[in-house]
Amino acid sequence: MMSLPFFPIWLVDIFGSILMIILSFLCLSAAIELKRSDQYSVIWTYLLWLCYGLAAFAISRSAGHILKQHLIFSDRQFVWESIRPYSGAINTLTFVFVGSVTLFFERIWKIHQQVLKDKLSLQSAHEELLLLSQNLESMVAERTESLAVSEQKYRRIFEVSRDMILVSKLNGLILDMNPAGYQMLGYNNSNKDLKHKSFEDFFSDQSDWLTIINTIKKEGFIANYEVNLLGVDDRNRLSLISGSLDRGPVDKDNTVHFLIKDIEQRRFIESQMAQTDKLASIGQLSAGIAHEINNPLGIILGYAQMLMRDEEAKTGRYADLKTIEKHVKNCMSVVEDLLNFARTSKTEKEAIKIHEIIDEALNFIRHHSELYHITIEKDYDKNVPPIMLDEKKMKQVFMNLIMNAKHAVGKSGTIKLSTHYNSLTKQLAVKIADTGYGIEKKNLSRIFDPFFTTKPTGEGTGLGLSVSYGIVKNHGGEILVESAPGKGSTFTVVLTVSLKNREV
Amino acid sequence: MKYKIGLHISIFTAFGWIFFNPDIVLATQTHGGPEGIYAHQIAHLFYILSMGFFIHWLRERKLVEESGWRFIQYAAFFLILWNLDAILVHFIDDQIGLIHWERIGLWHIQITAQNGNNALEILYYFAKLDHLLCVPALFFLYLGLKRLLKTTHSESTKPVEKGNGQ
Repeated sequence: MMSLPFFPIWLVDIFGSILMIILSFLCLSAAIELKRSDQYSVIWTYLLWLCYGLAAFAISRSAGHILKQHLIFSDRQFVWESIRPYSGAINTLTFVFVGSVTLFFERIWKIHQQVLKDKLSLQSAHEELLLLSQNLESMVAERTESLAVSEQKYRRIFEVSRDMILVSKLNGLILDMNPAGYQMLGYNNSNKDLKHKSFEDFFSDQSDWLTIINTIKKEGFIANYEVNLLGVDDRNRLSLISGSLDRGPVDKDNTVHFLIKDIEQRRFIESQMAQTDKLASIGQLSAGIAHEINNPLGIILGYAQMLMRDEEAKTGRYADLKTIEKHVKNCMSVVEDLLNFARTSKTEKEAIKIHEIIDEALNFIRHHSELYHITIEKDYDKNVPPIMLDEKKMKQVFMNLIMNAKHAVGKSGTIKLSTHYNSLTKQLAVKIADTGYGIEKKNLSRIFDPFFTTKPTGEGTGLGLSVSYGIVKNHGGEILVESAPGKGSTFTVVLTVSLKNREV
Repeated sequence: MKYKIGLHISIFTAFGWIFFNPDIVLATQTHGGPEGIYAHQIAHLFYILSMGFFIHWLRERKLVEESGWRFIQYAAFFLILWNLDAILVHFIDDQIGLIHWERIGLWHIQITAQNGNNALEILYYFAKLDHLLCVPALFFLYLGLKRLLKTTHSESTKPVEKGNGQ
């Protein structure tokens, strides 16, 4: 049993209760203020509910204690005994409430964090949007400018390309084509509307188009496919075609981008080079053989002539030797022609007037052949300067060409002789054109080959054009031929007038 | 169909029998015993547990690094102490009736332990001063809330940073 002062208990109880009420309401006020600072914060909502619970507890318990002390002091403890169960029950409820609310703290905190995260990303998106909207005008202007520059750059590539660039639908319908394309297809006007025109129509062989488009559909592209394109001028152009499929959002928007290279000229140059190489090889071979044969022929001719001197002119032996001499001379002539073709013989150049040479050759032929029903047309350029040439050899060239023309026209026709001097390129072109039967395409590449002839056996050795070719080449010029069956032939001798020539 | 009709008839018959033949029912449990004090003690334990979890979460999420939440942690701690104190007093006083006390005049009380243990009497006397625990709890809670409020205000008055960091 122990007697102890009651005052400390009373004092702590009364003042503690008052402080509890005051502090709980201060907490509630702070929580309300926090909640006001951010209406949507779940964490502040949690603290507010915690403070509500504590305020309820403080009122229930502290008011009860104050009342209890008051009733004890006024000797009415029995009244308190009747209130006490209610106070205790309410206290219990407030504990449970505060405890329950607190158990949700972790979940509330997670929600709070998620909300903050979403809020931040929303704010970031908002700021980005704000920035975009503020700078939209300048950004649009900037992008438009760069787009225009880019468009201009690619348009220029499209416009100035020397190769054809063509955009078409998969069915061949032309959507766009660059100026080089118009030029390649033989259009004079590059603004001509090609809408409703199919690229397929420009293929000489329709199966080429089918192969190309099927490959593109299957593989997505085609590279370096050789085709013959038929221009509006009905001229075939050997072309190298590459194309790739540009897939659109839907199949009907698919387009094909073609890049087409004209290889006609390249092929022509290649064939010319092959021809030159071939003739050079033949020339080397011929020169070798000619040298080897020339000396024995000289000895045979010498001995034949020596034996002839000792024989009577009318004897059979003399006639035999004469035959040997004649054939040896023929052989030597052929050998000389071969040497001329092989360009091994020396040229003796002097300044001559080309028109005089041509006329002399023509006159020589007039004296030895029938030219009565053949019309000779002359179209000489008066500006042709004197030119350094081996007169004798060039006369042989023109004689060969005119004789060939005469054979080509037969008994009647026209032979046109013309010259043209280009003062810019310093080139002189001598053309011998006939209205004869022309040269078949298969023979065109062989006409300069030695011993190639279409004349009957005995009428020609097949060395005329070979020799002419060799002589012209030896003068640094070239000899060209244009011919088509039934349309006649034109041989052009191109010679360069050098500065040295002009001075002479 | 016949089965359903039979079932309905059985239910109505049973209901009618119960309704017209009332008897003693034992569905509602009476609470003349000490359930009240047990419920109250369990509520205190629940309170302690929830505050314990609260402190654990605050520490786990490192919220106590902020002074506001640190003060709220102290408040939770004092509330745990207060609950333990209250459980002790209720246990001694109301549950096992180990202590008897009565007023002697206006300013003294006499505390009598059933087993005559003076230490228990002194412990009971000091345990009755529970406001020394719950008032600091609310004080720390108030401090914590004010700190949070201050932090919130200072954050909201910060100059707005540009989104792109320029």
